[in-house]
Amino acid sequence: MNLSLHPLILLLVFPGGLFLMNIGLLYEWADRKLVARFQSRVGPRWFQPFADTVKLLAKEEIIPNGVHKFMFQALPIIALTGALTAALYIPMFGFEAAFSFEGDLIVALYMLSMMTLSIGLAGANTLSRFTIIGATRALTQMFSYEAPFLLALLGPAIAAGTWNIGKINTFTGENIWLILAQPIGFIIAVVGLMGKLELPPFDAPEAETEIVAGALTEYSGRGLALFHIGKNVELVIGLTLVVIFYLGGIANPIEFILKSAGLFLVVSALQSMFARLRIDQTVGLWWRLGALMGLLQLLAIIFGRYLGEILR
Amino acid sequence: MAIGVLFGDLVKAFFTKPATQNYPFTKTIAPERLRGKLVYDPEKCIGCMLCMKDCPSNAIELLTVDKINKRFVMRYHPDRCVFCAQCVQLCRFNCLNMSNSLWEMASTSKEAFEVYYGREEDIAFLLERAAQPGINEPPCE
Amino acid sequence: MTEAKKEKFIVPIGPQHPALKEPGNFEFTVDGEIVTDATVRLGFVHRGIEKACETRNYTQDMYLLERVCGICSHVHATAFVLGVEKLAGVQAPPRAEAIRVLAAELERIHSHLLWFGVAAHEAGFDTLFMYTWRDREVVMDILETLSGSRVHYSVNILGGVKIDIDQKLSDLIKKDMDFLEERTEHYMKVVTTDETFLGRTRGIGTLSRDRAKLLGAVGPTARASGVKRDVRVNAPYSGYKEFPVKMVIDQTGDLEARFVVRLKELYESYRLIREILEKIQPGEISTRIKRKIPEGEVISRVEAPRGELFYFIKSNGTEMPDRVKVRTPSLCNWGTITDVAVGHKLADMPMLLAGIDPCFSCNDRMVEIRSDSQPSQMMNWDGLRKYGIEYYK
Ligand code: SF4
Ligand code: SF4
Repeated sequence: MNLSLHPLILLLVFPGGLFLMNIGLLYEWADRKLVARFQSRVGPRWFQPFADTVKLLAKEEIIPNGVHKFMFQALPIIALTGALTAALYIPMFGFEAAFSFEGDLIVALYMLSMMTLSIGLAGANTLSRFTIIGATRALTQMFSYEAPFLLALLGPAIAAGTWNIGKINTFTGENIWLILAQPIGFIIAVVGLMGKLELPPFDAPEAETEIVAGALTEYSGRGLALFHIGKNVELVIGLTLVVIFYLGGIANPIEFILKSAGLFLVVSALQSMFARLRIDQTVGLWWRLGALMGLLQLLAIIFGRYLGEILR
Repeated sequence: MAIGVLFGDLVKAFFTKPATQNYPFTKTIAPERLRGKLVYDPEKCIGCMLCMKDCPSNAIELLTVDKINKRFVMRYHPDRCVFCAQCVQLCRFNCLNMSNSLWEMASTSKEAFEVYYGREEDIAFLLERAAQPGINEPPCE
Repeated sequence: MTEAKKEKFIVPIGPQHPALKEPGNFEFTVDGEIVTDATVRLGFVHRGIEKACETRNYTQDMYLLERVCGICSHVHATAFVLGVEKLAGVQAPPRAEAIRVLAAELERIHSHLLWFGVAAHEAGFDTLFMYTWRDREVVMDILETLSGSRVHYSVNILGGVKIDIDQKLSDLIKKDMDFLEERTEHYMKVVTTDETFLGRTRGIGTLSRDRAKLLGAVGPTARASGVKRDVRVNAPYSGYKEFPVKMVIDQTGDLEARFVVRLKELYESYRLIREILEKIQPGEISTRIKRKIPEGEVISRVEAPRGELFYFIKSNGTEMPDRVKVRTPSLCNWGTITDVAVGHKLADMPMLLAGIDPCFSCNDRMVEIRSDSQPSQMMNWDGLRKYGIEYYK
């Protein structure tokens, strides 16, 4: 599907900006609702995340003593901007990406990492001990999942022979679903996504029973709301990326909704199935298992391609 | 050694009704023995004051209107009551009981937590007397 | 950097903290993620209950003491009532004793399931938390149907019990016990096989048998370390003489062992409840007891879900006691935390705290004035009163 809209509308309303934020909140609701159902609870009503965000936005933002004021206020905005920018390179909802060039996959991935970086900086910026520990954990976790996650997304890229997300989308749409061809990659991608979003069981950086709310403990009001929206946007993008790469791409909105919902079900089930991993367990898991598996998978793909070329 | 032992439960929980409920809209029926608000029957009371004496939280006051004709009014404070049913246990004449239907007692006003039990004319008499300055209520201790 | 290194990095947990459901203060000195020192500070919920007991009569005290703890309310009342009955030389009828044990075991089930959920939550396993609490509702409903209240059952009166059980109730309880037993078996499987959960419990917070003995640990915490301490077995009281229980012991002493011990105790409780319902004799459920209790002193010990509960009651021959002293099990177990905390990860601390099943408000009943210049000192009532008046002048 092709859509030609004014670039400003693209940026501010659809698919960037406003629309994405709202969809993000809807995703948050879906996540909470699904987890609640898995836990045999009723769960929130659909407008709960919206209400929460509106409430937070309307509230006073308390700036604690001893922080760098500018940084404190700028970081949530940077985090949100990073997530929103990444969305521009991704064919959302079955429409073509707003911008694209050869290699936008890398840009999008780094934009997504802005979020974690901002959270880390935000944590280190305040004096509270909880935030500092939270920041350390967030960054430690980032260093551990980032490489395997990247490797997992590289698999399809190499198979498709391009670094352009749009082209990968067409490639996966035309070929067999890559979840079948590269199951290991899919698992790593999903689990890596959960690590990236700090969903349980990888929520050590914000483990409430240990360090209250981790790096964001001192945030309130607007800053907190922006971080939340940013996280939700990232959730949308992350799920979309995995769908594009492993679940046969998305050609139209209906396909997008169905596939995302399916993936969502898996992710929320995984969320509610495990006990929280300690940060050292997380790191161990990723480096000992995740990275190795990712590398193996990659080698297999490269070898397969090489073999295919020879045979041809 | 296994991973995700709870998987079966997850699937089951997903397809069954939630264990929680939307409270003010759906309510479970309280069991028969539930100790809710105290109710008092003035007809049977002989004014032995035992219930008052052993109440752990001074939640009941028995006000005498006419001792000879056995007319008493009970002033009950549900906010102080700890719903222990000691008074019910003690009363030999079964004047006291704990209701199993009156248990939602939230209120925004303090008046709701001062309940008078007794014959209507007695309560009116007492309230009137309390409103008049100078004349004190009958001793309640 | 050397300067900064010397500075201690202390993580305070509490008095208000999401990990704690009640106020208490813990200071963990950490080096990175490793805890190098731990201190406990209690007393945030001191309520003066012991003193209040002296101004109320015995019946009123029973209800007051029941409110020492919101989870093990029945054992507090039982301990007090048993003591008072001993002083008065009154023996509750056998049916009353059996009903007391029945309520105590139902309470143990609800307490252990509650603890299980809380511990799972501390480990970040919220689903398990929700499930155990869902199943705990079953036993809560039994307690409510049986006694009329979910929290403070007020089953006891001086000289007996208030409530009786009939055939219908006993059938209901038996049915629910079967359901709970099945669920507990399932949870046992989760606790002993789930890899992620074991990662948080196996080998964590190991308390050796000698240390447990030395630190005076009680209850499941001690039994998980192989210390044979259970008042129900060592010195049977009330209905436990007629309905004996087996002691559950584990030798490992780590968090996993504490889970296993508590779950196994649940099996034992289910069995005991069924036995009581089968064998309970018809008869009176209360005897009369005088309002004035003869002069004397008594010590009464019972096994609360968390361990040994100790009551000392001194009577001066009036309607009111002269002194009531309570020592709750949580107080005995605090020492084990500061002992095993060192060397563990910060992430393990909430689990370690939850591991002893702490109950803060039960054990806050001593006043200690802390000051850097003076060593800590104890104050008696008059001294404290004077201090208070001076302080707020
Ligand atoms: S139920 Fe207990 S607290 Fe309430 S009035 Fe009766 S004796 Fe007093
Ligand atoms: S115990 Fe019964 S009879 Fe006696 S004063 Fe109370 S309500 Fe009346």
